[in-house]
Amino acid sequence: MGDGKQTRNEEFQSFVVGRWPRLMRTAFLLTGEQHAAEDLVQSTLEQVFVAWRRVGAADDPEAYVRRVMINGHARRHRRKLREFLAPKDDSGLVREVADTGDRIAQADDRSTLLKALAQLPPRQRAAVVLRYWEDLTETQVAEAMGCSVGTVKSNTAKGIAKLRAIPALAETVTHGGRK
Amino acid sequence: MSVNRENHDMTQTDIGLLLADAADEVEIGIAPVQAVIRGGRRRRARRWAVAAATTLVLAGSTGATLAFAGLPGEHGDREAPMASGPASAEQRHVYDPQQTELARGTEHGKEWRVWVQVWGAPRDAREAGRQFDAMRQMGLRPAVDKAAGLVGKTSYFSVRSYGDDPSVVVMFDTVERIDRLSGTDLQAAAVNLEGIDPKGPFRLVVGHVAKSAREVTCRWKDGRSTAARPEGPIPAAHDSSSLIRPVAGYPGGNWFVCVAPEGTALKEAKVTK
Repeated sequence: MGDGKQTRNEEFQSFVVGRWPRLMRTAFLLTGEQHAAEDLVQSTLEQVFVAWRRVGAADDPEAYVRRVMINGHARRHRRKLREFLAPKDDSGLVREVADTGDRIAQADDRSTLLKALAQLPPRQRAAVVLRYWEDLTETQVAEAMGCSVGTVKSNTAKGIAKLRAIPALAETVTHGGRK
Repeated sequence: MSVNRENHDMTQTDIGLLLADAADEVEIGIAPVQAVIRGGRRRRARRWAVAAATTLVLAGSTGATLAFAGLPGEHGDREAPMASGPASAEQRHVYDPQQTELARGTEHGKEWRVWVQVWGAPRDAREAGRQFDAMRQMGLRPAVDKAAGLVGKTSYFSVRSYGDDPSVVVMFDTVERIDRLSGTDLQAAAVNLEGIDPKGPFRLVVGHVAKSAREVTCRWKDGRSTAARPEGPIPAAHDSSSLIRPVAGYPGGNWFVCVAPEGTALKEAKVTK
Protein backbone atom coordinates (compact mmCIF):
# COMPACT_ATOMS: atom_id res chain seq x y z
CA MET A 1 0.00 0.00 0.00
CA GLY A 2 3.03 2.16 0.48
CA ASP A 3 3.38 2.05 -3.29
CA GLY A 4 -0.16 3.23 -3.74
CA LYS A 5 0.46 6.16 -1.46
CA GLN A 6 3.66 7.04 -3.28
CA THR A 7 1.88 6.85 -6.60
CA ARG A 8 -0.83 9.15 -5.32
CA ASN A 9 1.80 11.59 -4.06
CA GLU A 10 3.52 11.59 -7.42
CA GLU A 11 0.22 12.11 -9.19
CA PHE A 12 -0.56 15.00 -6.92
CA GLN A 13 2.83 16.60 -7.52
CA SER A 14 2.34 16.31 -11.27
CA PHE A 15 -1.08 17.80 -10.92
CA VAL A 16 0.25 20.78 -8.97
CA VAL A 17 3.08 21.44 -11.39
CA GLY A 18 0.83 21.08 -14.41
CA ARG A 19 -2.06 23.19 -13.17
CA TRP A 20 -0.16 25.86 -11.27
CA PRO A 21 0.13 28.41 -14.12
CA ARG A 22 -3.50 28.18 -15.12
CA LEU A 23 -4.72 28.28 -11.54
CA MET A 24 -2.51 31.29 -10.84
CA ARG A 25 -4.00 33.20 -13.74
CA THR A 26 -7.53 32.40 -12.71
CA ALA A 27 -6.81 33.29 -9.11
CA PHE A 28 -5.24 36.55 -10.22
CA LEU A 29 -8.37 37.50 -12.11
CA LEU A 30 -10.46 36.59 -9.09
CA THR A 31 -8.37 38.45 -6.57
CA GLY A 32 -6.60 41.13 -8.58
CA GLU A 33 -3.41 40.77 -6.56
CA GLN A 34 -0.31 38.68 -7.00
CA HIS A 35 0.07 37.62 -3.38
CA ALA A 36 -3.62 37.05 -2.86
CA ALA A 37 -3.62 34.87 -5.97
CA GLU A 38 -0.66 32.84 -4.70
CA ASP A 39 -2.33 32.41 -1.33
CA LEU A 40 -5.59 31.37 -2.92
CA VAL A 41 -3.99 28.81 -5.22
CA GLN A 42 -1.75 27.41 -2.52
CA SER A 43 -4.56 27.11 -0.04
CA THR A 44 -6.78 25.55 -2.71
CA LEU A 45 -4.15 22.96 -3.53
CA GLU A 46 -3.58 22.21 0.15
CA GLN A 47 -7.25 21.36 0.44
CA VAL A 48 -7.03 19.30 -2.71
CA PHE A 49 -4.08 17.44 -1.19
CA VAL A 50 -6.16 16.49 1.82
CA ALA A 51 -8.83 15.02 -0.44
CA TRP A 52 -6.52 13.82 -3.20
CA ARG A 53 -7.30 10.15 -2.75
CA ARG A 54 -10.86 10.92 -3.78
CA VAL A 55 -10.20 13.85 -6.09
CA GLY A 56 -7.36 12.21 -8.01
CA ALA A 57 -9.57 9.24 -8.80
CA ALA A 58 -12.48 11.40 -9.92
CA ASP A 59 -13.39 11.81 -13.57
CA ASP A 60 -12.91 15.54 -13.45
CA PRO A 61 -10.52 16.64 -10.71
CA GLU A 62 -10.43 20.10 -12.28
CA ALA A 63 -14.07 20.62 -11.39
CA TYR A 64 -13.34 19.90 -7.75
CA VAL A 65 -10.36 22.23 -7.76
CA ARG A 66 -12.35 25.03 -9.30
CA ARG A 67 -15.06 24.62 -6.73
CA VAL A 68 -12.59 24.69 -3.86
CA MET A 69 -10.99 27.79 -5.31
CA ILE A 70 -14.25 29.62 -5.81
CA ASN A 71 -15.43 28.70 -2.33
CA GLY A 72 -12.11 29.74 -0.86
CA HIS A 73 -12.25 33.04 -2.67
CA ALA A 74 -15.82 33.67 -1.53
CA ARG A 75 -14.87 32.89 2.06
CA ARG A 76 -11.93 35.27 1.97
CA HIS A 77 -14.08 37.89 0.37
CA ARG A 78 -16.67 37.60 3.09
CA ARG A 79 -13.94 37.87 5.68
CA LYS A 80 -12.12 40.82 4.30
CA LEU A 81 -14.72 42.19 1.97
CA ARG A 82 -13.81 45.63 0.71
CA GLU A 83 -10.24 45.61 1.81
CA PHE A 84 -9.59 42.44 -0.13
CA LEU A 85 -10.94 43.56 -3.46
CA ALA A 86 -10.16 47.24 -3.28
CA PRO A 87 -7.71 48.62 -5.82
CA LYS A 88 -4.20 48.97 -4.48
CA ASP A 89 -4.29 52.73 -4.70
CA ASP A 90 -6.97 55.01 -3.43
CA SER A 91 -8.32 56.05 -6.77
CA GLY A 92 -11.79 54.59 -6.80
CA LEU A 93 -13.27 53.47 -10.06
CA VAL A 94 -15.99 56.07 -9.93
CA ARG A 95 -13.51 58.84 -9.88
CA GLU A 96 -11.51 57.22 -12.60
CA VAL A 97 -14.55 56.84 -14.80
CA ALA A 98 -15.40 60.50 -14.36
CA ASP A 99 -11.85 61.34 -15.18
CA THR A 100 -12.02 60.11 -18.73
CA GLY A 101 -9.46 62.52 -19.95
CA ASP A 102 -6.81 60.94 -17.79
CA ARG A 103 -4.64 59.31 -20.42
CA ILE A 104 -2.22 57.98 -17.86
CA ALA A 105 -4.92 55.93 -16.22
CA GLN A 106 -6.18 54.69 -19.55
CA ALA A 107 -2.75 53.66 -20.67
CA ASP A 108 -2.76 50.67 -18.42
CA ASP A 109 -5.60 48.62 -19.73
CA ARG A 110 -4.72 45.64 -17.59
CA SER A 111 -4.97 47.73 -14.52
CA THR A 112 -8.23 49.15 -15.80
CA LEU A 113 -9.71 45.72 -16.23
CA LEU A 114 -8.55 44.57 -12.82
CA LYS A 115 -10.05 47.64 -11.23
CA ALA A 116 -13.24 47.09 -13.13
CA LEU A 117 -13.37 43.49 -12.01
CA ALA A 118 -12.76 44.59 -8.46
CA GLN A 119 -15.97 46.56 -8.58
CA LEU A 120 -18.04 43.50 -9.34
CA PRO A 121 -19.64 41.55 -6.52
CA PRO A 122 -17.67 38.33 -6.01
CA ARG A 123 -20.28 36.04 -7.55
CA GLN A 124 -20.50 38.15 -10.69
CA ARG A 125 -16.75 38.39 -10.89
CA ALA A 126 -16.33 34.64 -10.49
CA ALA A 127 -19.01 33.97 -13.12
CA VAL A 128 -17.36 36.29 -15.63
CA VAL A 129 -13.88 34.91 -15.01
CA LEU A 130 -14.95 31.28 -15.20
CA ARG A 131 -17.14 31.83 -18.24
CA TYR A 132 -14.89 34.05 -20.30
CA TRP A 133 -11.40 33.32 -19.07
CA GLU A 134 -11.69 29.64 -18.12
CA ASP A 135 -14.08 29.28 -21.06
CA LEU A 136 -16.32 26.94 -19.11
CA THR A 137 -19.86 26.12 -20.09
CA GLU A 138 -22.64 27.56 -17.97
CA THR A 139 -23.17 24.13 -16.47
CA GLN A 140 -19.52 23.85 -15.48
CA VAL A 141 -19.58 27.32 -13.98
CA ALA A 142 -22.70 26.37 -12.02
CA GLU A 143 -20.89 23.33 -10.65
CA ALA A 144 -17.87 25.39 -9.69
CA MET A 145 -19.96 28.02 -7.98
CA GLY A 146 -22.38 25.59 -6.40
CA CYS A 147 -25.44 27.28 -7.90
CA SER A 148 -27.95 26.84 -10.70
CA VAL A 149 -27.33 27.52 -14.36
CA GLY A 150 -29.92 30.28 -14.16
CA THR A 151 -27.93 31.98 -11.41
CA VAL A 152 -24.81 31.70 -13.52
CA LYS A 153 -26.56 33.30 -16.49
CA SER A 154 -27.83 36.09 -14.30
CA ASN A 155 -24.48 36.73 -12.62
CA THR A 156 -22.61 36.63 -15.91
CA ALA A 157 -25.04 38.96 -17.65
CA LYS A 158 -24.96 41.47 -14.80
CA GLY A 159 -21.18 41.30 -14.58
CA ILE A 160 -20.72 41.83 -18.29
CA ALA A 161 -23.24 44.65 -18.31
CA LYS A 162 -21.35 46.41 -15.54
CA LEU A 163 -18.06 46.01 -17.34
CA ARG A 164 -19.62 47.36 -20.52
CA ALA A 165 -20.86 50.34 -18.60
CA ILE A 166 -17.35 51.42 -17.70
CA PRO A 167 -16.18 53.85 -20.36
CA ALA A 168 -12.53 53.52 -19.48
CA LEU A 169 -12.67 49.82 -20.09
CA ALA A 170 -14.64 50.17 -23.29
CA GLU A 171 -12.11 52.67 -24.54
CA THR A 172 -9.37 50.20 -23.88
CA VAL A 173 -11.03 47.99 -26.45
CA THR A 174 -11.94 50.79 -28.84
CA HIS A 175 -8.42 52.16 -28.86
CA GLY A 176 -6.86 48.76 -29.23
CA GLY A 177 -5.42 48.84 -25.77
CA ARG A 178 -5.34 45.08 -25.90
CA LYS A 179 -2.18 43.69 -27.24
CA MET B 1 -26.48 51.21 -18.22
CA SER B 2 -26.47 54.80 -19.33
CA VAL B 3 -23.21 54.36 -21.09
CA ASN B 4 -23.16 55.33 -24.76
CA ARG B 5 -22.86 51.86 -26.18
CA GLU B 6 -22.27 53.03 -29.73
CA ASN B 7 -18.86 54.24 -28.75
CA HIS B 8 -17.90 52.01 -25.94
CA ASP B 9 -19.50 48.66 -26.50
CA MET B 10 -17.54 45.50 -25.96
CA THR B 11 -18.27 42.07 -27.24
CA GLN B 12 -17.95 39.10 -24.98
CA THR B 13 -14.97 38.08 -27.06
CA ASP B 14 -13.37 41.39 -26.18
CA ILE B 15 -13.90 40.64 -22.53
CA GLY B 16 -12.35 37.22 -22.94
CA LEU B 17 -9.33 38.78 -24.60
CA LEU B 18 -9.06 41.46 -21.96
CA LEU B 19 -9.19 38.83 -19.26
CA ALA B 20 -6.52 36.78 -20.99
CA ASP B 21 -4.38 39.88 -21.31
CA ALA B 22 -4.83 40.82 -17.66
CA ALA B 23 -4.16 37.26 -16.56
CA ASP B 24 -0.77 37.47 -18.22
CA GLU B 25 0.23 40.13 -15.74
CA VAL B 26 0.54 37.66 -12.91
CA GLU B 27 3.97 36.24 -12.21
CA ILE B 28 3.55 32.51 -12.39
CA GLY B 29 6.75 31.42 -10.68
CA ILE B 30 7.61 27.85 -9.84
CA ALA B 31 4.87 25.72 -8.35
CA PRO B 32 5.68 25.39 -4.64
CA VAL B 33 4.93 21.68 -4.59
CA GLN B 34 6.63 20.88 -1.30
CA ALA B 35 5.08 23.87 0.44
CA VAL B 36 1.66 22.79 -0.80
CA ILE B 37 2.18 19.27 0.51
CA ARG B 38 3.46 20.53 3.84
CA GLY B 39 0.51 22.88 4.05
CA GLY B 40 -1.87 20.08 3.16
CA ARG B 41 -0.45 17.92 5.92
CA ARG B 42 -0.66 20.76 8.38
CA ARG B 43 -4.24 21.41 7.31
CA ARG B 44 -5.12 17.77 7.85
CA ALA B 45 -3.42 17.82 11.22
CA ARG B 46 -5.16 21.05 12.20
CA ARG B 47 -8.48 19.57 11.30
CA TRP B 48 -7.83 16.48 13.31
CA ALA B 49 -5.45 17.25 16.05
CA VAL B 50 -6.64 19.11 19.01
CA ALA B 51 -4.78 22.16 20.19
CA ALA B 52 -5.68 24.86 22.59
CA ALA B 53 -7.11 26.99 19.83
CA THR B 54 -9.29 24.26 18.44
CA THR B 55 -10.14 22.55 21.63
CA LEU B 56 -13.78 21.83 21.81
CA VAL B 57 -15.57 22.28 25.04
CA LEU B 58 -18.66 20.17 25.05
CA ALA B 59 -21.14 22.79 26.05
CA GLY B 60 -23.17 22.15 29.12
CA SER B 61 -21.74 18.75 29.56
CA THR B 62 -18.64 17.27 31.04
CA GLY B 63 -17.04 14.27 29.54
CA ALA B 64 -18.55 12.19 32.29
CA THR B 65 -22.09 13.14 31.52
CA LEU B 66 -21.67 12.98 27.82
CA ALA B 67 -19.58 9.88 27.92
CA PHE B 68 -20.74 6.84 26.19
CA ALA B 69 -23.75 5.25 27.72
CA GLY B 70 -23.62 2.08 25.71
CA LEU B 71 -25.58 1.04 22.68
CA PRO B 72 -27.02 -2.40 23.31
CA GLY B 73 -26.57 -4.65 20.35
CA GLU B 74 -24.55 -2.05 18.49
CA HIS B 75 -22.38 -3.56 15.85
CA GLY B 76 -19.43 -1.58 14.69
CA ASP B 77 -19.28 -3.10 11.24
CA ARG B 78 -22.60 -1.66 10.32
CA GLU B 79 -22.35 1.04 7.74
CA ALA B 80 -24.08 4.37 7.90
CA PRO B 81 -27.48 4.34 6.28
CA MET B 82 -27.29 5.83 2.82
CA ALA B 83 -29.00 9.13 2.20
CA SER B 84 -30.99 7.60 -0.62
CA GLY B 85 -32.50 4.90 1.59
CA PRO B 86 -36.04 4.94 2.85
CA ALA B 87 -35.13 5.38 6.52
CA SER B 88 -36.37 8.33 8.53
CA ALA B 89 -33.98 11.00 9.74
CA GLU B 90 -34.05 9.42 13.16
CA GLN B 91 -33.24 6.01 11.76
CA ARG B 92 -30.42 7.52 9.79
CA HIS B 93 -29.01 9.07 12.96
CA VAL B 94 -29.29 12.56 11.58
CA TYR B 95 -30.15 14.16 14.90
CA ASP B 96 -28.81 11.55 17.30
CA PRO B 97 -25.44 10.18 16.25
CA GLN B 98 -24.23 6.65 16.46
CA GLN B 99 -21.67 6.58 19.21
CA THR B 100 -18.97 4.02 19.88
CA GLU B 101 -16.58 4.02 22.77
CA LEU B 102 -13.08 3.22 21.62
CA ALA B 103 -11.13 3.01 24.83
CA ARG B 104 -11.00 4.07 28.42
CA GLY B 105 -8.55 4.03 31.27
CA THR B 106 -7.57 5.74 34.45
CA GLU B 107 -4.80 8.25 34.83
CA HIS B 108 -3.92 9.95 38.11
CA GLY B 109 -7.16 8.82 39.62
CA LYS B 110 -9.37 10.19 36.87
CA GLU B 111 -11.06 8.24 34.15
CA TRP B 112 -10.41 9.09 30.54
CA ARG B 113 -12.47 7.87 27.61
CA VAL B 114 -12.30 8.13 23.84
CA TRP B 115 -15.36 7.71 21.67
CA VAL B 116 -16.48 8.38 18.13
CA GLN B 117 -19.76 9.88 16.99
CA VAL B 118 -21.03 9.38 13.45
CA TRP B 119 -23.88 11.63 12.30
CA GLY B 120 -25.94 10.50 9.35
CA ALA B 121 -26.20 12.66 6.25
CA PRO B 122 -29.13 15.10 6.23
CA ARG B 123 -31.11 14.98 2.99
CA ASP B 124 -32.21 18.58 2.84
CA ALA B 125 -31.69 21.99 4.39
CA ARG B 126 -34.33 21.39 7.06
CA GLU B 127 -32.66 18.23 8.29
CA ALA B 128 -29.28 19.90 8.05
CA GLY B 129 -30.48 22.80 10.17
CA ARG B 130 -31.74 20.51 12.89
CA GLN B 131 -28.55 18.49 12.80
CA PHE B 132 -26.45 21.62 12.99
CA ASP B 133 -28.42 22.76 16.04
CA ALA B 134 -28.06 19.34 17.66
CA MET B 135 -24.32 19.44 17.10
CA ARG B 136 -24.05 22.94 18.47
CA GLN B 137 -25.96 21.93 21.56
CA MET B 138 -23.23 19.38 22.19
CA GLY B 139 -20.62 22.03 21.49
CA LEU B 140 -19.57 20.36 18.25
CA ARG B 141 -18.56 22.45 15.31
CA PRO B 142 -18.64 20.56 12.03
CA ALA B 143 -16.22 21.35 9.21
CA VAL B 144 -18.72 23.40 7.21
CA ASP B 145 -19.40 27.11 6.97
CA LYS B 146 -23.13 26.86 7.51
CA ALA B 147 -25.81 24.32 8.24
CA ALA B 148 -26.67 23.83 4.56
CA GLY B 149 -23.16 22.55 4.03
CA LEU B 150 -24.12 19.40 5.92
CA VAL B 151 -26.67 18.27 3.32
CA GLY B 152 -25.68 14.92 1.85
CA LYS B 153 -22.66 14.63 4.11
CA THR B 154 -21.75 12.34 6.96
CA SER B 155 -19.98 13.90 9.94
CA TYR B 156 -17.79 12.20 12.46
CA PHE B 157 -16.10 13.39 15.63
CA SER B 158 -13.70 11.52 17.86
CA VAL B 159 -13.74 12.92 21.36
CA ARG B 160 -11.64 12.46 24.47
CA SER B 161 -12.81 13.11 28.02
CA TYR B 162 -10.74 13.22 31.19
CA GLY B 163 -12.52 13.20 34.50
CA ASP B 164 -14.81 16.16 34.73
CA ASP B 165 -12.60 18.32 32.56
CA PRO B 166 -14.02 19.71 29.34
CA SER B 167 -13.92 17.12 26.58
CA VAL B 168 -11.92 17.75 23.45
CA VAL B 169 -12.35 16.75 19.83
CA VAL B 170 -9.42 14.80 18.43
CA MET B 171 -10.34 14.18 14.79
CA PHE B 172 -13.41 15.27 12.88
CA ASP B 173 -14.64 15.78 9.38
CA THR B 174 -17.77 16.23 7.31
CA VAL B 175 -17.67 14.45 3.97
CA GLU B 176 -19.92 13.28 1.18
CA ARG B 177 -18.26 9.91 1.27
CA ILE B 178 -15.98 8.53 3.92
CA ASP B 179 -12.78 7.29 2.30
CA ARG B 180 -12.10 3.62 2.72
CA LEU B 181 -8.56 3.07 3.90
CA SER B 182 -6.64 0.08 2.64
CA GLY B 183 -3.34 -1.71 3.24
CA THR B 184 -1.14 0.18 5.65
CA ASP B 185 -2.99 3.48 5.32
CA LEU B 186 -3.20 5.26 8.63
CA GLN B 187 -4.57 8.63 9.64
CA ALA B 188 -4.11 9.69 13.21
CA ALA B 189 -3.74 12.55 15.63
CA ALA B 190 -1.95 12.67 18.98
CA VAL B 191 -3.24 14.74 21.88
CA ASN B 192 -2.81 15.16 25.60
CA LEU B 193 -4.15 12.30 27.64
CA GLU B 194 -5.08 14.66 30.43
CA GLY B 195 -5.69 18.36 30.33
CA ILE B 196 -5.19 20.54 27.30
CA ASP B 197 -1.74 21.75 26.45
CA PRO B 198 -0.73 22.50 22.87
CA LYS B 199 2.89 21.84 23.82
CA GLY B 200 2.10 18.27 24.77
CA PRO B 201 3.04 15.71 25.82
CA PHE B 202 0.85 14.01 23.28
CA ARG B 203 0.40 10.62 24.87
CA LEU B 204 -2.96 9.69 23.41
CA VAL B 205 -3.00 8.61 19.77
CA VAL B 206 -6.35 8.24 18.02
CA GLY B 207 -6.76 7.35 14.40
CA HIS B 208 -8.18 5.07 11.80
CA VAL B 209 -6.77 2.30 9.65
CA ALA B 210 -7.99 -0.18 7.05
CA LYS B 211 -10.41 -2.87 8.15
CA SER B 212 -7.70 -5.38 7.30
CA ALA B 213 -5.10 -3.90 9.68
CA ARG B 214 -4.31 -6.37 12.46
CA GLU B 215 -1.77 -4.34 14.39
CA VAL B 216 -0.82 -0.70 14.80
CA THR B 217 2.50 0.02 16.47
CA CYS B 218 2.99 3.37 18.15
CA ARG B 219 6.64 4.21 18.75
CA TRP B 220 7.31 6.62 21.55
CA LYS B 221 10.03 9.20 21.82
CA ASP B 222 11.82 7.28 24.55
CA GLY B 223 12.31 4.31 22.24
CA ARG B 224 9.57 2.14 23.66
CA SER B 225 6.54 1.12 21.67
CA THR B 226 2.98 -0.08 22.15
CA ALA B 227 0.98 -2.35 19.86
CA ALA B 228 -2.75 -1.90 19.38
CA ARG B 229 -4.61 -4.97 18.21
CA PRO B 230 -8.22 -5.61 17.25
CA GLU B 231 -10.78 -5.83 20.00
CA GLY B 232 -14.37 -6.86 19.59
CA PRO B 233 -17.01 -4.32 18.65
CA ILE B 234 -18.91 -4.67 21.91
CA PRO B 235 -18.52 -1.38 23.72
CA ALA B 236 -17.87 -0.77 27.35
CA ALA B 237 -16.82 -4.36 27.89
CA HIS B 238 -13.16 -3.64 28.17
CA ASP B 239 -10.63 -1.70 30.04
CA SER B 240 -7.71 -1.70 27.68
CA SER B 241 -6.11 1.42 26.43
CA SER B 242 -4.43 0.40 23.18
CA LEU B 243 -6.64 -1.35 20.66
CA ILE B 244 -8.24 -1.38 17.22
CA ARG B 245 -11.99 -1.35 17.02
CA PRO B 246 -14.81 -0.90 14.47
CA VAL B 247 -17.02 2.13 14.88
CA ALA B 248 -20.74 2.06 14.28
CA GLY B 249 -21.68 3.93 11.13
CA TYR B 250 -18.09 4.41 10.02
CA PRO B 251 -17.39 2.34 6.90
CA GLY B 252 -13.96 3.80 6.10
CA GLY B 253 -11.98 1.50 8.38
CA ASN B 254 -11.45 0.65 12.01
CA TRP B 255 -10.32 3.09 14.64
CA PHE B 256 -7.41 2.62 17.00
CA VAL B 257 -6.12 4.11 20.20
CA CYS B 258 -2.61 3.96 21.66
CA VAL B 259 -1.54 5.43 24.97
CA ALA B 260 2.06 6.32 25.70
CA PRO B 261 3.63 5.56 29.08
CA GLU B 262 3.89 8.56 31.34
CA GLY B 263 6.87 10.75 30.56
CA THR B 264 7.00 10.16 26.85
CA ALA B 265 5.01 11.00 23.73
CA LEU B 266 4.33 9.85 20.21
CA LYS B 267 7.12 9.59 17.72
CA GLU B 268 5.30 7.69 14.97
CA ALA B 269 2.44 5.31 14.37
CA LYS B 270 2.36 2.63 11.69
CA VAL B 271 0.33 -0.32 10.62
CA THR B 272 2.68 -3.23 11.26
CA LYS B 273 0.41 -6.19 10.48
